[in-house]
Amino acid sequence: MKTKQEKRIQIILHVILCLMILLWLYPIIFAVCNSFKTSQEALNHVISLIPLAPTIDNYVHVFETLPFVRITLNTLFIAVTVTSIKLLTSFMAAYALVYFDVKGKGILYFLMLSTMFIPFTVSMIPNYLLISKWKLADTVFGVILPQLADVLGIFMLRQAMRGIPKSIIEVARLDRISHKKTMKEIVLPIVKPSLCSTGIIFFINSWNEYVWPVLILKSKENYTLSLALQMFISAEGGTNFPVAMAVSVMTMSIPLVLYLFFQRQIIDTFAMSGIKG
Amino acid sequence: MRKFESIKGYLLLLPSLLAFCVFLFYPMLETIYLSFFDWNLIKPTKKFVGFSNYMELFTDATSLVILKNTLLYIAILLIFNLVMPYLLALFLEFIVKKGKSFYKAVFFLPSVISLVVGSILYTWIMNPVSGPLSFVLKKVGLTMPIWSTTQGWVIAVLCIITSWKCFGYNFIVILAGISGVPKEVVESAKVDDVSMHKIFLDLVIPMSAATGIYVLIYCIVQGLQFVYTPIKVITQGGPNYASSNLIYNSYHEAFTLFRTGTSSACSVITVIIFMILLILEFRFVERGIYYEN
Repeated sequence: MKTKQEKRIQIILHVILCLMILLWLYPIIFAVCNSFKTSQEALNHVISLIPLAPTIDNYVHVFETLPFVRITLNTLFIAVTVTSIKLLTSFMAAYALVYFDVKGKGILYFLMLSTMFIPFTVSMIPNYLLISKWKLADTVFGVILPQLADVLGIFMLRQAMRGIPKSIIEVARLDRISHKKTMKEIVLPIVKPSLCSTGIIFFINSWNEYVWPVLILKSKENYTLSLALQMFISAEGGTNFPVAMAVSVMTMSIPLVLYLFFQRQIIDTFAMSGIKG
Repeated sequence: MRKFESIKGYLLLLPSLLAFCVFLFYPMLETIYLSFFDWNLIKPTKKFVGFSNYMELFTDATSLVILKNTLLYIAILLIFNLVMPYLLALFLEFIVKKGKSFYKAVFFLPSVISLVVGSILYTWIMNPVSGPLSFVLKKVGLTMPIWSTTQGWVIAVLCIITSWKCFGYNFIVILAGISGVPKEVVESAKVDDVSMHKIFLDLVIPMSAATGIYVLIYCIVQGLQFVYTPIKVITQGGPNYASSNLIYNSYHEAFTLFRTGTSSACSVITVIIFMILLILEFRFVERGIYYEN
């Protein structure tokens, strides 16, 4: 008797949770559905989700009014470059922190962790001036340059490397195998999963980045997706609503697809970033 | 030989350290320097003004508004991104029996979506005239406030938008922290007929305190910076500074009003607050690292 009642309670709890999920994901469903409506229908029937006369005009409109392919390629180029460089610098730094006896390791690690606590506003003006002085304002390289290292990567890879049994590395040392070889043939294959999931996170973050590009990029053909999106917003709802939904859907589709494929790895990586010591 | 080894180690650290120094630590010093000068980003000369930028910040009426807003942002963000994910995590870990990984995946999903996308979606959903939310509210006899120009509401809505992105991360971290609490302890308390809320308050929360403090600090430091994007995209700090906070104000002073001095002073104050939080973090959370291995 008790188990039956318990089962019933569990079912009710799951129903409540599923309702919460619907509410939680509603903005995404809302965007996808409205992006296929005509603007007339979108404004008159905002509640109904299924478009009465589905159309791809909104998507076509985006490609006609904006250099959208160029903007997507800019975003992709920045995200790929930033991700690769960050992974490389993080891997090197993590290797040094774990396998080398460098003096002042503790202080260096503290300094690196402290970068998480520096608000972007404090480097904003000098970096803006520097990028302008180097004539990189309004270029994708101006966006990339200040993002060559990331403490999240150093932290994640350091954790992964510390998981490798010390004895393996010690044997390699005794056999006089060079660090280069140890790195390539022992450490790299083992930390590859961490490298991949950290890379995916870097990619998604860079894809979504807004704060720094909005200061640096001025002309439309150099825009990234986040900046292009911004043109479709106004608190009073003055601009074309279904077109704004179409751009939103296209912008979020890449991170969402990546997430669907690597969901477990991404979540595990993030969960680990919070576990200290 | 040993010395040579350690040089190699420094060489490996060099790219990261160089990047941090050139684009983070050195600019920070430069901003401190700029906070003592009057400048507008263009003029060839900067005028030394001592502490007057700071004095202006401490005496100006808008500064008081911004400080109050910042505290309100922190309070609301903590409810949405610390208290609520904690409750959900406790619920999923101890009360609901199945489907933990499914719910984890779904609640994290919006975290991979850009805040600009989030801002656009929510401005339309919450549009006071034609949005679906106002439609539903009208059906039950309520009117949607014109939140983007209403003091108080504007901050609440901007926090909701930001939380849609931040909630998932905090939730996952807290859930991982709670999973670290030994199951036997909780089970034996259950056997002893200790009530569920007592188990949470006296057992689970204290035993996951390190994670809790980490999320608390993360919430303040990252939350205030995340909320910058919806502010910039939707309200630009308005109406009349009602949605500005310390972070947005630094941007606004520098790139809208072209007053690098006050902007820098405001940034320096933000850094000081964040550094206090960093020390707290090391005191309560990171300390474990050095005793490990």
